[in-house]
Amino acid sequence: MIWDTLKLSLLVVSIATILIGLIGTAFGFLLARRTFRGKDILDAVLTLPMILPPTVTGYYLILILGKRGLLGRPLYDLTGWSITFTWQAAVIAATVIALPLMIKSARAAIESVNVEYEVASRIMGKSEWETFLRITLPLAGRGLLAGIVLSFARAFGEFGATLMIAGNIPGKTQTMTVGIWEAMVSGEDERAKWLALILTCISVTVVYLTNRLTRSNKSN
Amino acid sequence: MLEARIKMQLGSDRTHLFTIDVDIKATDGITVLFGPSGAGKTSILRTIAGILIPDSGRITLGNRIYFDSSSGECLSIQQRRVGYVFQNHLLFPHLTAEQNVLYGVRDHSRYSARKRVRELLSLLGVRTTARRYPGELSGGEQQRIALARALASDPSIMLLDEPLSAVDVATRTRLLEEISAVQRKSGIPFLYVTHNHSEAVRLGSAMYVIHEGSIVQEGTPLEIFNSPRSASAARVVGTENVFAGDVVEHRPGDGTTVMDIQSCRIEVPYNGLPLGSRVTVGIRSEDIIISREHLTQTSARNVLKGVVKHIILDADKAELVVSCGVDFKVSITPATIRILNLETGTEIYMLIKARAMHLLA
Repeated sequence: MIWDTLKLSLLVVSIATILIGLIGTAFGFLLARRTFRGKDILDAVLTLPMILPPTVTGYYLILILGKRGLLGRPLYDLTGWSITFTWQAAVIAATVIALPLMIKSARAAIESVNVEYEVASRIMGKSEWETFLRITLPLAGRGLLAGIVLSFARAFGEFGATLMIAGNIPGKTQTMTVGIWEAMVSGEDERAKWLALILTCISVTVVYLTNRLTRSNKSN
Repeated sequence: MLEARIKMQLGSDRTHLFTIDVDIKATDGITVLFGPSGAGKTSILRTIAGILIPDSGRITLGNRIYFDSSSGECLSIQQRRVGYVFQNHLLFPHLTAEQNVLYGVRDHSRYSARKRVRELLSLLGVRTTARRYPGELSGGEQQRIALARALASDPSIMLLDEPLSAVDVATRTRLLEEISAVQRKSGIPFLYVTHNHSEAVRLGSAMYVIHEGSIVQEGTPLEIFNSPRSASAARVVGTENVFAGDVVEHRPGDGTTVMDIQSCRIEVPYNGLPLGSRVTVGIRSEDIIISREHLTQTSARNVLKGVVKHIILDADKAELVVSCGVDFKVSITPATIRILNLETGTEIYMLIKARAMHLLA
């Protein structure tokens, strides 16, 4: 049981972290390097999941993705499949909740790269995409990595929104945090203890790595 | 040949600084844009490179149109094939010197690209730095790599923005020669921004003096430094008198060297250069003393008779242009004009210590 929960948690968090890394870097770049109308509003909306209680974010996710939701209904009508109470829903919950952390880190990391390097690259005939990949990304690399590690930790600890939209189906949608909660309320103290221990170990490792990354970033 | 007619307002409507309004032609030599910082020189380079878009105008290089506001044409930065050397090098810190230069190479196979990089590093004498990172290079080496990187893209024009402002004097002298040599070898126009007199004199085949976004004078550097045509040009080129002259005699015992600057003979500090060599001498206009009488008992090695040609009077300072075959600029106080009763046409003597004459790099 513990193994199933851990495996599912790692699967959910791995996919969520990849999504967060990609989407977060893209939005971070947009906010750091582009000026457009409504930029402040976009920034505020993207930050919301960090401010709102996770259950509220989960509630909104149901409004959007649920069987009768804004996007959920057409999807259900079309395919007969609903994302709620699936492990994919847990991925979405973790992604949405941890994304603001990545966006903020990515924005700061990209803003710290002197924009003139990018200008120099474009003068040498490189496209914006190539400039981003070969100049901006490596120069912002440490900051981005630190952001990814932090988001990973946040996604790993996700509870509220996951419970709302993915529920608590052991072996199917039960992640570690949800598992701990369930073990506690049903009196399985031993299981709760082990799950909590494993989660703590992983979190400590992650925080340690983040600290090391950000420190060497500063000394650079 | 580059022809750039640029009109562009700097700053937003609210923070309007000034308007750039220039018409620049640069042929296959080094054209200097000379002016104080904030005059708009860098903005002009950036417009030619396509980083900034002018409000109106037309920029062409040979038969390629970079920008034309009347037809709406505007080539992207990437399409312009410009080599750009930045004031602070802007070498990519995560790439080695060699990788930096390689990054600049366009349209080459991997093998020929590497060959090109090696050629450029050799040309600029920095083969040994290939595997070092920018942080591990001296200022002069960084500048050479930046130059190599800009040349690597086979540019149609080179734009250099005060490239030597961060290197020491000895390195600067060597780099000036290298830049000159590189230009001759490449045969493309170089547009060189500086506010340094000796760089302008040593490199420039033509020069534009820029002041608050406008050209206040154009000509050869020496011509402009010696006879600025307007008060604002005089202010921009500053208080330096710059002359090209020939070494005619050495007096090591006296510690002096005699030079001819056109019809004028002057003594400068002993320099041991071969007789007949042509050098550039600078004399700050504040270092010249004016006298109405011919003084003989004086430490000044040069007592030159001349005629006041112009008097430029400001609130708290005055500048004379004194002709003695060549024109000297002399800074004095308004009081001197009053006390010595100076006016255009007055005959005076200029007293200049040999030590006040310095050779320009």
